[in-house]
Amino acid sequence: MDVNQAKQEHLLALKVMRLTKPTLFTNMPVTCEDRDLPGDSFIRLMKDDPSTVKGAETLILGEMLTLPQNFGNIFLGETFSSYISVHNDSTQMVKDILVKADLQTSSQRLNLSASNSAVSELKPECCIDDVIHHEVKEIGTHILVCAVSYTTQSGEKLYFRKFFKFQVLKPLDVKTKFYNAETDEVFLEAQIQNITTSPMFMEKVSLEPSLMYNVTELNTVAAEELSESTFGTMSYLQPSDTRQYLYCLKPKPEFAEKAGVIKGVTVIGKLDIVWKTNLGERGRLQTSQLQRMAPGYGDVRLSLELIPDTVNLEEPFDITCKITNCSERTMDLLLEMCNTRSIHWCGVSGRQLGKLSPSASLSIPLKVLSSVQGLQSISGLRLTDTFLKRTYEYDDIAQVCVVFPYTSPES
Amino acid sequence: MENSDAPSQRPVTLDIDGEVDPDGLEASASPQIDLLGRSITLEVPFQEESIDLDAEAFPSLLDDSVNSETIIDKLNDQMMESVMISDSPNSEDEDVVPIDTLLGQNEDNEALDSKGPKRDAGKEDDDTNTASSVNAAEPEEASASLFEEEVVKTSDKIETVDQGSFDTPSPEGLNALDTGTTPKDELLPVCTIFSQGVQPKAQALIPDGFQPILVKSPSFTIGNTETPNRLVPQVCQPSPSLSKFFTDNGAVNPASDFFDSFTTSTSFISISNPNAESPKATVPPEPQLLSGTGSMPTPGPQEAVPASTYFSPASQGGVLNPQASSVEPGASMSKLQAVFSGGDDPFASALSTSEVDKRYDAWLPSEETRRVLISVATHQVNPAQLDREHLSMPGLKFDNLQGDAVKDLMQRFLGEQAAMKRQVLSANSVEQNFLGLKRLISTKNWRAAVDLTGRLLTAHGQGYGKSGQPSNHNTDSLQLWFVRLALLVKLNLFQNAELELEPFGNLEHPNLYYEYYPTVYPGRRGSIVPFSMRVLHAELPQYLQKPQETLDRLHGIKSVCQKILSNLQEGFAEDGSMINLTQENRQASIQLWRSRLSRVMYSMANCLLMMKDYVLAVEVYQSIIEYEPEQKVQLLSGIGRIFLQIGDIRTADKYFLEVEKACELKGKSPDEDTSVLMNRAFVHLSQNNYTDAHECFSSVLKIDPKNPVANNNAAVCLLYLGRLKESLGQLESLVHKDPALYLHESVLFNLTTMYELESSRSTQKKQALLEAAACREGDSFNIQCLKLV
Repeated sequence: MDVNQAKQEHLLALKVMRLTKPTLFTNMPVTCEDRDLPGDSFIRLMKDDPSTVKGAETLILGEMLTLPQNFGNIFLGETFSSYISVHNDSTQMVKDILVKADLQTSSQRLNLSASNSAVSELKPECCIDDVIHHEVKEIGTHILVCAVSYTTQSGEKLYFRKFFKFQVLKPLDVKTKFYNAETDEVFLEAQIQNITTSPMFMEKVSLEPSLMYNVTELNTVAAEELSESTFGTMSYLQPSDTRQYLYCLKPKPEFAEKAGVIKGVTVIGKLDIVWKTNLGERGRLQTSQLQRMAPGYGDVRLSLELIPDTVNLEEPFDITCKITNCSERTMDLLLEMCNTRSIHWCGVSGRQLGKLSPSASLSIPLKVLSSVQGLQSISGLRLTDTFLKRTYEYDDIAQVCVVFPYTSPES
Repeated sequence: MENSDAPSQRPVTLDIDGEVDPDGLEASASPQIDLLGRSITLEVPFQEESIDLDAEAFPSLLDDSVNSETIIDKLNDQMMESVMISDSPNSEDEDVVPIDTLLGQNEDNEALDSKGPKRDAGKEDDDTNTASSVNAAEPEEASASLFEEEVVKTSDKIETVDQGSFDTPSPEGLNALDTGTTPKDELLPVCTIFSQGVQPKAQALIPDGFQPILVKSPSFTIGNTETPNRLVPQVCQPSPSLSKFFTDNGAVNPASDFFDSFTTSTSFISISNPNAESPKATVPPEPQLLSGTGSMPTPGPQEAVPASTYFSPASQGGVLNPQASSVEPGASMSKLQAVFSGGDDPFASALSTSEVDKRYDAWLPSEETRRVLISVATHQVNPAQLDREHLSMPGLKFDNLQGDAVKDLMQRFLGEQAAMKRQVLSANSVEQNFLGLKRLISTKNWRAAVDLTGRLLTAHGQGYGKSGQPSNHNTDSLQLWFVRLALLVKLNLFQNAELELEPFGNLEHPNLYYEYYPTVYPGRRGSIVPFSMRVLHAELPQYLQKPQETLDRLHGIKSVCQKILSNLQEGFAEDGSMINLTQENRQASIQLWRSRLSRVMYSMANCLLMMKDYVLAVEVYQSIIEYEPEQKVQLLSGIGRIFLQIGDIRTADKYFLEVEKACELKGKSPDEDTSVLMNRAFVHLSQNNYTDAHECFSSVLKIDPKNPVANNNAAVCLLYLGRLKESLGQLESLVHKDPALYLHESVLFNLTTMYELESSRSTQKKQALLEAAACREGDSFNIQCLKLV
């Protein structure tokens, strides 16, 4: 192995340029008025300048496209495009040229070349061109490995390769939070932050629900026919801006019955995000499956089906409770009602509710009154399973606003 | 080995999926099997080649000696792989919390256990492959040098790399677990519509209820993500040595040092003044300068009067004309006007300024300045006694000659002789007056023009080092300042411009108004500072990263414009005084001030655009249409392009549609047809459809074959279509055929970029461009776009 050989001039030159989108040339208008010293010379210079917008020379954003000036940043989910050019710098014909472009990531090596067949010959001053595209699917170091092999006129087989390293960065920061509603609905709040350095147009942020759920997007305000985005007319995110998206998930009817007894971690779905940046440079990402810990209901779940939001002081009002047996066995339940400082239950405490088989539920109307004004918490329900002699306590089930019934002393 | 190979085929997600990691780990060990499989067909005798034929990369090159080859192969790919692994994605994602660590912490043990055996297997693989590999300290350099070399050829090199980059993954899994703690986010307000009693237990484990979610490319997840209900944190952490090597400093392009043949360069737009940082000793004014100024034309009666006469109060008293004070601005002047109502004095009327002057010079000074001006006019204050702090006393801040960068570059690349051929006008080779200045400007010799303004200003007593010394302003001196500053801005010499503008403050000094010089400008009033200079003064800070200041100043100018317009519309003169204007003059004045207002709004919109405040920028551009209805098509197209820049193609389309409608209304002149086609091309471009974009630009050329924008853009599209030679040929022929249109920095930048991409001999071709530019362009030519230096 001759080390010096490595320094030998190759007949072919390999050039690689990343093809980000071209940019629009911006010019810098400096104007004067006719009476000023330069007279019309400034405006004439601007009119002669091919990069200005004719008729509106003071507009800085022109129409002239310029090629990318530097490698720039590349983000997960974007497409890495690159121009690979192999040029015959020599004066002799070169044969059997094979150009191969591989992308080495932390987990795999991908072949990006459009064709893997060799070019039989390349004349001097000619070149082999290839534009490669690759949707970036991993964060971190990527190395573009370009390898060229060819045969010289004298039959010598030569080979070289070049490495181009670049980092793939994370474009978005996504955080989610679940809210469990009483009605088996789940609300998902997703905070999406642009952690790149350029504005990002959010083309699509949707939730792909799992099999069990239907989803309603709550990110538009319905105004007659047209629904308007909650984010206004400009749907782009400036660097480090965060946006909140809200989704409502309802269990599908076939799962709805079971939903009451769903336990543990359930898969909710995943967010699908499509964005665009400079001149339509597109990126797309999906989150991993979002998972939710279903609220634990214990053996018996007590939920409210009906409750007024505002009640009058010392006036009885109706609530309806739904009791669901979430255990695997049949229960025989006894309902006790304990008064608190403000909440007073009407009716008999210690009522037998009868047998309740697994997954079954029953509704019980109850009457209650409050002796204290303000926001009051409904508490003090006790269910006892007479088989196991186990008591389940239900406090802070819901809140009601208790008001003084008379708006003015005169009335 | 066989076992570990199978999982490595699975695409590895960047998911929080913990199982991924063992896979990734094994991927480092497993590929040689893969590659072996691929390299079976090798035939070329390896030993006889002095150059390492990468067997793996070239199935067509055949090799019998598979055994010897594969070692290198193995090592080779070990190198690549192991580098990768050590740079585990985990390191980037410390804030990412595996859901399971949050939701079910009791499962962690289990998870770790299940991972255990796999990890061991991976480790074993590593060990077997890298018998003596585990020295982590020195290899860093080895691998670094490899990358500098770029071209890997010798096997010993590969070996060093192998040693270097190989690192047994240390048991850092626990660290990974540690990093899996919840990030400290502020609590979101708890949704109160839901009863608290049913808040899930999970809430307790996640203080803020937010789970950072890992995002990944959708196509990447297919196949393995649907069932991840146990998520295990990744085990692998970057090895210390390599992570150092691969440290990426955030947004900075880490590849730049690497990609020297990536045909890119740093921004070429800014030109820096080579002399600005090290100002040479003051060049003494040349003798011929004086004679030069002597021949200066005297455009008006306001030719400079020796300073002493302005400032000696004794000589002023008698000459002072009543008219001078009667034309003071402001409401308080009405009583003065009453006093001096005898305006029919023929002498006074002869001196009264022309309507046009009044129209152009009108300005509303600040309250303080106005008071000073009134007191000067009413003889309460002698201008000489005014506090210097209130006066603007500018002077040149640098008077070193600007030189000619093109010539310097020619000297460097083409030799002394070629450089001698370059003939450009210099400050010496033109008349030392306004005519010469204009000649320099229109021949694009702006650097020489700056030099000339310096000489003329020196003759005016405002030369180098005169800043802070009292001097007199007149129409000419301020016009010279305006030209000088405008040219500095045009030359991107913003710092210099700022330095020299500084003594002007906010252009509110009383001595910048005609009223301050009642003897020189009897009866004339308003601002000596031309309006364009005010705009320039306002625009400058944005180029020095102070866009907010630019906006503040522009808003100031805008409100004055609006006030003057409302004065005119309410039947007053520009400055709000009761002077009667003829209908004609009023209309002309309204027109002038409306155009000024729209110019200021353009500046505001441009500044907002540079600040990337697109919402406001679009709003302002939209409102300009009202003032410049004939620019509607251009403005709407421009707004559309802004939306394309953001990436919002749908909204852009809406604006482009409006452009089409506006064109139809006008009956589609061919000119407007081009703008419609141009817009369509940009939309295609934004949809990655370069073929159709090229088509559209080409059809513009059918209508307007000389359209430089369409020509250039069509060539750019060709490059994206992989047709470098065609693209290059097209641009090159344009530059040679019609240099007047195509020797523009944007075109030249594209051309040189393509030269760099095309061959290793781009320098010669760039030099040819330099020669072409040298015989046409003046000294203001931006040499950066040639990318020779």
